[in-house]
Amino acid sequence: MEALKSQFPAANFSLLAVVLLLPLLGAFVNGIFGKRLGKQGVRLMALSAIGGSFLASLLTFLMLPRGEAAEEGGHLAWNAWHWFTITGKMQQAIPIDVSFAIDGLNATMMLVVTGVGFLIHLYSSEYMWKDEGYHRFFAYLNLFCFSMLVLIMADNLALLFVGWEGVGMCSYLLIGFWFGETKNASAGRKAFIVNRIGDFGLLVAMSMLVYYLGTLRFSSIDLAATNLSVPVKIWPIGNLSADTLPSFVAAVILPKEPVMVYASTLVGLALFLGCAGKSAQLPLYIWLPDAMAGPTPVSALIHAATMVTAGVYLVARMGAVFILSPAAMATVAVVGAATALFAASIGLFQHDLKKVLAYSTVSQLGFMFIGVGMGAFASGFFHVFTHAFFKACLFLGAGSVIHAMHVRIHDTDKSQDMRNMGGLRKYLPITHATFLISCLSIAGVPPLAGFWSKDEILWKAFSNEIAAPRTVNGLVPWAWPTWLGVAIYWVGIVAATMTAFYMFRAYFLTFHGDFKGWTIVRGWTDPHAGHGHDDHHDAPHDDVKGDGPEPHESPLAMTIPLMVLAAFALLAGFLNAELIHVAPLGHLLEGVFKADEVAVHERAAAHGKEMMMLVPGILAFVAGIGAAAYVYLQNKGAQETAFAKSFPRLYKLIYDKWRIDELYEATVIGMVDALADIFQMADTWIVDGILAKLSAAIVGAAGTVLRAFQTGKVQAYSASMVIGLAGVGWFLVRPHAVTSIDDTKLKQTGEVVVSAAPGFGYSYNWAGPGLAPTSDFSATREITIPLQPGDKKDVVLQVKNAFNGVDTQTITVARPGKKAAAPTPGANPMDDLAPGGKVVIPGDKIPDLLRGLHQ
Amino acid sequence: MLMAYASVAAFFLVAIGFILGSLLFGKVIRPNNMYAEKLETYECGEAPVGPAWFNFNPRFYIIALIYIVFDVEIAFVYPVATVFRRWVDAGRGMFALVEIFLFVVILMLGLVYVWVKGDLEWIRSIKGDPRGVQNVSSRTRPEIIKEHDLEEAMPQGAE
Amino acid sequence: MKTGLYLSISPLLVVALGGALLMLAEAFSHHREEHESRSAGPSSELALGTAITLFTGAIFAAAVWFVGPEKLDGSQDLAPWLIIDRFTLFFAFTICVGGGLASLLAGGYLPEHRIDRGEFYPLLTFSSVGAIILAAAGDVLTLFLGLEIMSLGVYALTGFRRGSARSTEASMKYFLLGSFAAALLLYGAALIYGATGHTDLAGIRAALVAGNLNYGLVLIAVTLMIVGLAFKISAVPFHMWTPDAYEGAPTPATSFMAVVVKSAAFATMLRVLLVAFGQPELSSWGAGWPPIIATLAVLTMTVANLIAGRQESVKRMLAYSSIAHAGYILVGVTTTMRLHEDGQASVMFYLLAYTVSTIGAFGALILCGSRGAEAVSYEDLSGLGKRHPAVALVFSLFLLSLAGVPPTAGFFGKLYIVKGAIGAGLYPLSVILLLNSVLGAYYYLRVLVFMYMREPAPGAPFARPMKSGYVTSALVLAAVAVVALGLFPTTSLEVAVRAALAP
Repeated sequence: MEALKSQFPAANFSLLAVVLLLPLLGAFVNGIFGKRLGKQGVRLMALSAIGGSFLASLLTFLMLPRGEAAEEGGHLAWNAWHWFTITGKMQQAIPIDVSFAIDGLNATMMLVVTGVGFLIHLYSSEYMWKDEGYHRFFAYLNLFCFSMLVLIMADNLALLFVGWEGVGMCSYLLIGFWFGETKNASAGRKAFIVNRIGDFGLLVAMSMLVYYLGTLRFSSIDLAATNLSVPVKIWPIGNLSADTLPSFVAAVILPKEPVMVYASTLVGLALFLGCAGKSAQLPLYIWLPDAMAGPTPVSALIHAATMVTAGVYLVARMGAVFILSPAAMATVAVVGAATALFAASIGLFQHDLKKVLAYSTVSQLGFMFIGVGMGAFASGFFHVFTHAFFKACLFLGAGSVIHAMHVRIHDTDKSQDMRNMGGLRKYLPITHATFLISCLSIAGVPPLAGFWSKDEILWKAFSNEIAAPRTVNGLVPWAWPTWLGVAIYWVGIVAATMTAFYMFRAYFLTFHGDFKGWTIVRGWTDPHAGHGHDDHHDAPHDDVKGDGPEPHESPLAMTIPLMVLAAFALLAGFLNAELIHVAPLGHLLEGVFKADEVAVHERAAAHGKEMMMLVPGILAFVAGIGAAAYVYLQNKGAQETAFAKSFPRLYKLIYDKWRIDELYEATVIGMVDALADIFQMADTWIVDGILAKLSAAIVGAAGTVLRAFQTGKVQAYSASMVIGLAGVGWFLVRPHAVTSIDDTKLKQTGEVVVSAAPGFGYSYNWAGPGLAPTSDFSATREITIPLQPGDKKDVVLQVKNAFNGVDTQTITVARPGKKAAAPTPGANPMDDLAPGGKVVIPGDKIPDLLRGLHQ
Repeated sequence: MLMAYASVAAFFLVAIGFILGSLLFGKVIRPNNMYAEKLETYECGEAPVGPAWFNFNPRFYIIALIYIVFDVEIAFVYPVATVFRRWVDAGRGMFALVEIFLFVVILMLGLVYVWVKGDLEWIRSIKGDPRGVQNVSSRTRPEIIKEHDLEEAMPQGAE
Repeated sequence: MKTGLYLSISPLLVVALGGALLMLAEAFSHHREEHESRSAGPSSELALGTAITLFTGAIFAAAVWFVGPEKLDGSQDLAPWLIIDRFTLFFAFTICVGGGLASLLAGGYLPEHRIDRGEFYPLLTFSSVGAIILAAAGDVLTLFLGLEIMSLGVYALTGFRRGSARSTEASMKYFLLGSFAAALLLYGAALIYGATGHTDLAGIRAALVAGNLNYGLVLIAVTLMIVGLAFKISAVPFHMWTPDAYEGAPTPATSFMAVVVKSAAFATMLRVLLVAFGQPELSSWGAGWPPIIATLAVLTMTVANLIAGRQESVKRMLAYSSIAHAGYILVGVTTTMRLHEDGQASVMFYLLAYTVSTIGAFGALILCGSRGAEAVSYEDLSGLGKRHPAVALVFSLFLLSLAGVPPTAGFFGKLYIVKGAIGAGLYPLSVILLLNSVLGAYYYLRVLVFMYMREPAPGAPFARPMKSGYVTSALVLAAVAVVALGLFPTTSLEVAVRAALAP
């Protein structure tokens, strides 16, 4: 270890190159030579690449600075090369480097990505064996791991963005992996569009960070973040003011006071837009359930364990920015809570096994955002960690089930339909056991991993409050109401209950009862047509084996990952079990978030209630699982009364749940259906219709009109050239009176310099108050006008060119009086360029294209 | 300054006026007695055998181009020859000689190229042409050699 | 004998000499006129020879760069007719690289599509000579000479597919309009000579600064020269010939036109605008050439992108896209009025990035289509990602670079252009550029969608990639360059900054 440490010093930790390059090499080799390598070769290449990457990540993790060094923000850094330089607001050079910095947060993430990634590679090597695109699949998968590693290891937002786009691209490619089916291609397209919306937010955030902080490095952002505590006018924008607008328009759209917010809020919200897109939060979650059209291991790796949690990672990473804006934090937490509840409610009634898991993922991502939004960055991240294990395990288990179902029916939709399953426990013992463990974990059964992370989040939601940052320039920051955290806590509890319910519904339907797959093959049409959604009442009780092959357990390459993941789903919680004060991971992360969490306090009212607030969480999973068991396991008949007698209190709760279920039958199903219809319509009309078609139609129509000129006639072509020639000539032979105003000296000397743009063969004539009247044109291009506060002067410029053409422009320069200066609409308190007042240029004739020059 | 161009303008006006005037004058005074032979296109007294719009043998153009190349050569070399003595006296004779030699060599390269390519011969066979050697004289209307026969036409893309 | 002089013009000499040798080699080769029965066409040797010639030219240009033309005794002897400075060398390098890659593409394309006649290579080489002369020209006479040497070759290359009506038509149109534009340029040069008494650009500037001349004549001359140059870079509305010529020409010739001709035209445009017309009155934002160039830029970007989105032929789409790129570069040219060096550097970097990306994109298109199955429409490319992942991958790389997706060469090209424009205070222009790149991304990504997300309709023709070592090697070289420029943009940008013309 010491030798390694001397080989890879913390400041130049080039071991990271190994972590990164191995997957890239794998992608390259498999992508280019995959066909020639053969499937065994591809498997070896892919597995060794990601496995090697995992080992290197493990080394990296072990070599992280510990103890005090970690608390002081010690990390491993590797600067690969200087990439490029951009220029900041103050003309300073901002270097953008290809460099990586590893601390506890992303070292853990690296382990997850490469570790879970390895298991899923192993699983896929069997799962995808019969696919003709085997090498292509592994090339994409390796490329994904590479991009994801870039994303999490980057030490600046620009490089993170490269990874961010890279994972998006791989996800897009993998969703559409079986692009023969139009459904998959359209799912890919939807993911693409929604993610572009998110990327837009991220780009805006990056531009604002460059503007305000002059850096994109996370470490520098952490240090300089307080510079974001400046109020920014967001409405009216630009030079929109009562002067430049018709009065009735101004009365409607201009508020009395300009709308001001803190820059930190803007940056936070823009960042969160990016995160919401990538991590499938309301209202951008729509792509994720569709994305499950890709191969199941892809769903496990990309759309459950790693990529979709990138948003959470980014919020945690940018904690220093978020903490400055309680409003942005509240948005994150509220959106997270709403998503958790909403997605969970949808998950209740899905028949497709993968769809249930998809909505469950969306819902769990909501939980993570509750965590980071409530300032509990470590807890939110811990849920990312545990979720990676149990959700990957669930997806892989689902894959194993589908694999088994393919024996009976080779149809994507039907083999994933839980109504065709049941009783698989017998045939898939390992899958069954691991699936059960993961279900228990996600339901939050102590002491499984999900329990620790989820309850930690809920407790923090209940107990945390975010202190408002200091007030700058009189703009009072938005304060965090006390009830909000409590409300989010209860919403979380409800969502957790639903989670437990639908997960166990899926579990019971899949693994318990009788296998309904027998009926599929024997002239199977659709036995459920015309029945309720849960067709268990009249399910036949004969557990007779049907004809044909029976489902069987998947091979070892698929079950080993299941078992490993299940083990983690079982035990990983103890890495951060704060309740019982066993939290090695928490200590590791402490240094990362120490600075961010200074503004986060425990509410006095919540103090000491930790154990008490645990009760609803426990009740949640008990209720959820119980309800599921009652409805889907017991309600088939015999044991129902016995169940009620043995657990009367539980029965009462289930009874309540049952009433909700009835209510659903009557109302919510209709509502959910209607909602689904609305979303379907929104999807068709807004995403496909307006976003894609309308813009394409506009662009297309313009293109068609323009194309009409492309007649192929050489005469038309030369005519166009002659018109262009005439246009250029016209511009040059016309005189142009264009002025620019320099008011930088206004404060010192009280003078404004007005200068006319030079022109070839031009002469100028100035007229105005304080200027000697003259009718002669001279070569004087600049005049200086003294202005007292409150003055307003009109200056007339005449320009004569070589062809004796004359152009005239009137410029009004004004300097508001000192007292009138403060409430001037359009004045930006941020603007300290001209504190004594600002030159207003009404009647500005400069075409828009040129306006920028005069600022 | 513009007045300096007044004489040019006057010249143009007189020229245009003269042409229009004489045409008009002829129109007015000539007898108008039309018959079929008179309305025919004038072809040196021969009866025309077809429309005048047909493809000329491109060989004419090639010969004309080659001619121009050597015409230009003379136009350059001759003046050099006249002043060469003076250049020699100025001590730049060798430089000028090398320069003009290079110039001629480059033109020679062109000549060699055309020669090797067979473009100096009036009658030239095109291999692959099923009609073999053809004497394409100037006054017979040549069939355009369809190179579609020789080369595959480019697949036309959708507009 | 001044060795320094010959060393400094060595890139030009190498290419010219190579061209002459190639011409003779072609004439004396045994392949000529044996259309059907040959085993190997002239391309098999000439393509390599041309590539070696042009790449040697590029190496010489780079070598002179490193030595420093100012250190070579006699390097300024040919000024103002040929100015050998870092600016010239940068463009000579770009031109040689573009021409070399184009000849490699031809080495695969011509035999595959049975238009394997050797004239292609000498024509291409001589055109490159013209392009280098054009980039080096510091006098309107040599400028015109270079322009014509370059153009005549390209006219012939455009009509190279003699049997095809489309190719001939394209060549004819290009020739007619090109002559028209050349006449305008020459007329402008004549007028400026009439007004100033100078044909060399520096002298013209000196005369303009001194004043006391016929201003009207000068303004008309400026108009004519700008239009003549705008034709060559195919700026809207002088672009109409471009789609027809690009589509009709054999694809290697198209790539040559899109890359080499455009680079040389931009070089001379920069030199004319900044050296001859660089004085404050003419480079004024109020009434000089910058507003004209800015307007051309906006028109060019917008019109080209809008039409490109409607094309069904990938080749024609790439033709329009190359017009759009000229628009982006024009933004950089506009920037030079305020940020002299940064503006030029952004133009040069963009041209380098654009050269490798465009050659790559055309090359990938060439590789996609074998004889009788040329990839023409988007549909032809359906499912390419599945059938031929390597081809689809490089094609995607070049398209992403053209679209300006990080971390490719094209991204940094756009970044530097936008950065310069913002630095010069041209905010609206930068916004229009960014909006246009979004439009552009649409049709580039459309190719990707077809390659990766579609299957060819049953029975529909689909592209069958051909096998050619030449095309493959050109693609590999271009791909390496695209990635390298994307990963290490700073070095080449510094080179471009050093190459900028002195104010």
